[in-house]
Amino acid sequence: MRKLFIASALILSVAASAYAHHSPAAFEAQKTVSLTGVIKEFRWQNPHTWIEIMVPNDKGEQVLWNVELTSPTYLVRAGWKSNTLKPGDKVTVVGRPLKSGEPGSAIFSSVTLADGTTLLERPARLGGAAK
Amino acid sequence: MVTRVAIASVLAATLAAAPVTTTAQGRGGQAAAVPTEPLSALAPENLAKSRPKAPFDLTGNWFVDTSAGPDAWRFGPPYPKLTAKAQKEYDTGMKSLKEGKVYKDDIGQCWPAGLPLIMTRYWPTAMIQLPTAIYMVSEFMNSFRTIFLDGRQHTDPDVVVRTFNGESIGRWEGTTLVVDTRHFRGDHHWMDQGGASIPAGEQLRIVERFRLLPGGKQLEVEYTMTDPENWVGEWKSTKRFNRVNDIDIHEVVCLPDLNDHLKSTSSKTQVQ
Repeated sequence: MRKLFIASALILSVAASAYAHHSPAAFEAQKTVSLTGVIKEFRWQNPHTWIEIMVPNDKGEQVLWNVELTSPTYLVRAGWKSNTLKPGDKVTVVGRPLKSGEPGSAIFSSVTLADGTTLLERPARLGGAAK
Repeated sequence: MVTRVAIASVLAATLAAAPVTTTAQGRGGQAAAVPTEPLSALAPENLAKSRPKAPFDLTGNWFVDTSAGPDAWRFGPPYPKLTAKAQKEYDTGMKSLKEGKVYKDDIGQCWPAGLPLIMTRYWPTAMIQLPTAIYMVSEFMNSFRTIFLDGRQHTDPDVVVRTFNGESIGRWEGTTLVVDTRHFRGDHHWMDQGGASIPAGEQLRIVERFRLLPGGKQLEVEYTMTDPENWVGEWKSTKRFNRVNDIDIHEVVCLPDLNDHLKSTSSKTQVQ
């Protein structure tokens, strides 16, 4: 399962600049960060959706992370709705952090909801990771 | 009084609706040439003109074919031999990339992608084909492009307003649509994103050869691109697009508050 996940992240990293409005070069290509925390806000909008999630750091302090996702056009086709994430939800988001090491920013790879459901960004035919 | 106002209104409306005259009076009394306006591509008289039936109709939604791999949206490598000016930008971009930084990511700062990149974003493009023009709207930033098919010539360079998608004039050659695009903006306009930082200049000219493949579900476009300011000779690339019948395009704009929430676009990794 872990191998599968790493492969998906690699493919997404290359394709990302074609569907994000910005270059993905600022983000790690392979290194991922797992963020378990509480949803502060989930913005359902074009061209990007984004998640704000409060994640405790090593010292137990709450740190705000912004995680960038693609557009609702594709999320819908991957099983998302505007209320998939709600403030207060406890989830685990996996993303690729900034190469600069600046905390609090990542580009989305997957999310696992409290009920164990895992969601990705988009189907393969629309540029998502091949299954 | 009412009558005078009415007459003045009718006169003003008549003057406003009249065809563009061929001269305009300058301050010193000398006449300046004013170009004659062609018929709009949507003018009923233009649409109704007798023309051969188009070999194919692109009306529909199209999405770049990614079956060749996740880099299918890129127009290189290979890249043509770059001029010294472009090579400097390319080298700086590559150096930044190795350092984990992003060099002059103008699209990320909400500048338009422009042609050719706008065609291969991982977003659908809606195309509506009429006898006189093909209208394209990419879902990505709702970027708008017109390919005129009504026989008009390119606009006088001294008059045209340069744009990121340029001015496209198409003509049919057998079953191929050949589109010649010129008059691009030469600033904040790039041939790649997040990789090869090759600028697109005002001398950029793109000739596209559109072919609808058998079955009508796939479109092939052969690109021949020249820009003597930035590379030597012709830069060629061929892309395919799939017809998508279960997806529509929507409003997508880069709003000021978008980047406020995306820390990556203002992080230390950005190099301008």
